[in-house]
Amino acid sequence: MDVRVWLLWALTVLVAASSARNPLYGLLLLLAATVVGVACAPANGRRPFLAPLRFAAVAVPFSALFNGLTAHLGEHVLFRLPAWLPLLGGPLTLEGLAYGATSGLALAAIFGGFAALNRVTPVHELVRLAPRAFHEAGVVLSIALTFVPQTARSLTRIRQAQAVRGHRWRGLRDGLPILVPLLVSGLERSMGLAEAMVARGYGSVADRPQPLRLRALLALGLLALLGGWLAWLFWPSGNGIALGAMTLGGGLIGTVLWLAGRAVPRTSYRLRRWTVRDTVGVLGCALTLAVVLLPLPGRGTLVYSPYPRLTPPGFDPLVGLGLLGLALPALWGEAQGDEG
Amino acid sequence: MRRAISGVIYGLSAAIGVLTFAYPFLLQADRAAQERIAPLATAALVGLSLVALLMELQGQAISAKTVAMLGVLVAVTSVLRFLDVAFPLPGGFSPIFAPIILVGYVFGARFGFLMGAFTLLASALITGGVGPWLPYQMFTAGWVGMTAGWLARLQPLTSNLQSWKLEVGGWRVGLLAGFGFAWGLLYGAILNLYFWPLAVGMGGQGWEAGLGLRETLVRYAAFYVATSLGWDLAGAVGNAALILLLGAPTMRALTRFQRRFHFQML
Repeated sequence: MDVRVWLLWALTVLVAASSARNPLYGLLLLLAATVVGVACAPANGRRPFLAPLRFAAVAVPFSALFNGLTAHLGEHVLFRLPAWLPLLGGPLTLEGLAYGATSGLALAAIFGGFAALNRVTPVHELVRLAPRAFHEAGVVLSIALTFVPQTARSLTRIRQAQAVRGHRWRGLRDGLPILVPLLVSGLERSMGLAEAMVARGYGSVADRPQPLRLRALLALGLLALLGGWLAWLFWPSGNGIALGAMTLGGGLIGTVLWLAGRAVPRTSYRLRRWTVRDTVGVLGCALTLAVVLLPLPGRGTLVYSPYPRLTPPGFDPLVGLGLLGLALPALWGEAQGDEG
Repeated sequence: MRRAISGVIYGLSAAIGVLTFAYPFLLQADRAAQERIAPLATAALVGLSLVALLMELQGQAISAKTVAMLGVLVAVTSVLRFLDVAFPLPGGFSPIFAPIILVGYVFGARFGFLMGAFTLLASALITGGVGPWLPYQMFTAGWVGMTAGWLARLQPLTSNLQSWKLEVGGWRVGLLAGFGFAWGLLYGAILNLYFWPLAVGMGGQGWEAGLGLRETLVRYAAFYVATSLGWDLAGAVGNAALILLLGAPTMRALTRFQRRFHFQML
C-alpha cells in the first residue's frame, strides 16, 4: 500500500484506540494491528524492538497494578494497604485493577498500530513524504540515515582494534577509547563529504537565506497560533474565535511551507500508481472512523467504565465489524504489502 | 530586521511549546468540550511550531559543511540509541543526550536544536520508534541542545575565544554534568505532560480540569514521583556520568573540528 495510506491507517488506530475504552474493542484493535504488522511486513523489513503482544503483556498488568494501588475507588475491595503509606494507602479494588488494565490495553493497541507502521513502511518512503520546503532538513536526514550503517561498521572495527590492544569493556570509562575515535572518524568523513558537496555546487543553491516576507508570514502564523491558544485557555466564551485564530495560524504556516517548497524542484524517476489496494485500505479506515466518530447505533458500547461496580463490557457486532476495517490490509499479505 | 524577525519566531515557538506542554496546569473548570479536543489541539500546535522553527533554522543559509557535519553527528548519536534499544541500559538512561548537550555547547543554540530534533527523528526511523510521541520528543530534545548553546553564552568569556573553547576540563565539565543531570529529570517530566491527562485513572494522581494551579502541581508531582522519578533518575545520573567521563575529550575533538570546518572553496 501507499505510504500515505499506511500513515492514515496508523492514525485511525490511534483515534479508535483513544476513543474506544471498551476492553473487548481494545483487544480487537490490538489483534488487528498485530495481524496486519505480521502479514504485511516485507521479508527484509525492520523488526520492531518489542512485539505488540509482548508490549501488552507488560503494559496491561503494570497499568492495572499501578491504577489499583493508587486509585482507591470501587465496590469490590480485595485488600487494604495501611493508610500511612503515601499514595498507596487505602483499599485495592477490582474496579481499580480493571480500569488500569483497560488503559494499558488502549496503550498497547496504539503501540501495535505504530509498530506495524514502522515494520511495513520503508524508511526512504517515509523520508520522501517530507515537504519540499524541508529540502535541507531532508538532506541532513538522508546523510544521517546513509551514515548509520557506516558508523555501525566503524564502531565494530574500532572495538576490534581496541580489543587487539587488550581493551575490555568494564564500565563507562572504558567507552573513551571507542567513542572518541568513532566521533573523530565520523567528523573526518563529514569533512570529505562537505568538500564533495561544495565541489558539486551544493552551496550555490543552498546558501540562500529565506525571503524576508516568508519569514514575516511565518511569524504572523505563529502569533495567530499563540493568540488562539491563549484565548482557548483563558477565554471560555471565545471558543469560536480561538479556533478560528489557530486555524488561521496553521493555514499561514502551511502557506509558507507551500511557497518555500515551490522554489525547490523535485524530480521523481518512478511514479507510484494508486492501486485498488490503496482504495480498499482507505475505505477500511473510513469504516473504522465512521463507527468511532459518527452517532451510529451501538456507538454507546465504545465507552466503558468499571466504576463504581465492575460489570461486563457490552459488545455490538456492527461496531466490532467496523473496527475490523483496520484488518483489511492483512488480506493481501507480505507479497502485496511489499510491492511498490 | 532579519535578526528581529528571527528572534520573534524563536520567542513565539518557545512560548507556544511551553504553553502547550503546560496546558494541564492552565485549563479552566467547566471546559468539557475543550478537554476532549485538547490532545488533538496540543499535537497540532507542537507539530506546527516545530515545523515553523525548523523552517526558520534551515532558512538561515545552511552551508554544505553544516549539513554534512550535522548529518554525520546525528548518525553517530543515532547508533548510540540503537545500542540502547538493542541492549537496554538501566532505567531511563540513554546515551544520546550527552552528545546533544556537548554539541549544543560547542556549536551553539541553533545547531544544538537541530542536533536534538534530528537525532530523535533519525533514531526513531531506524529503531522503529515513529509514533504520536515523536513531535514531542523532537521538540524537547531540541530544547536540550538549544539550552546547552545558551549555557555556553552565559559563561564569562576570556579575551581569546578559541583558547577558552579549548579549556574544556575542570569546572566547565562539572557544570555540563549538572546540566545533563537536570535535563535527565526535566526531559521525562516534560514528556509525561502530553499523556498525563489521558493515561491515568481516577486516583489522587489523575488530572482534572479546573483544579487550580497548586492542586494540579501537587497531583502531577505525586504522579511523577510514583511513575517516573526512579526511571528518570537513572537517566540523569547516566547523563552526568557520561559527561564527566567523556565530556572533556569529546569537546576537544568537537572544538578542533569546528575550527577546521571554517574552510572556504575559492
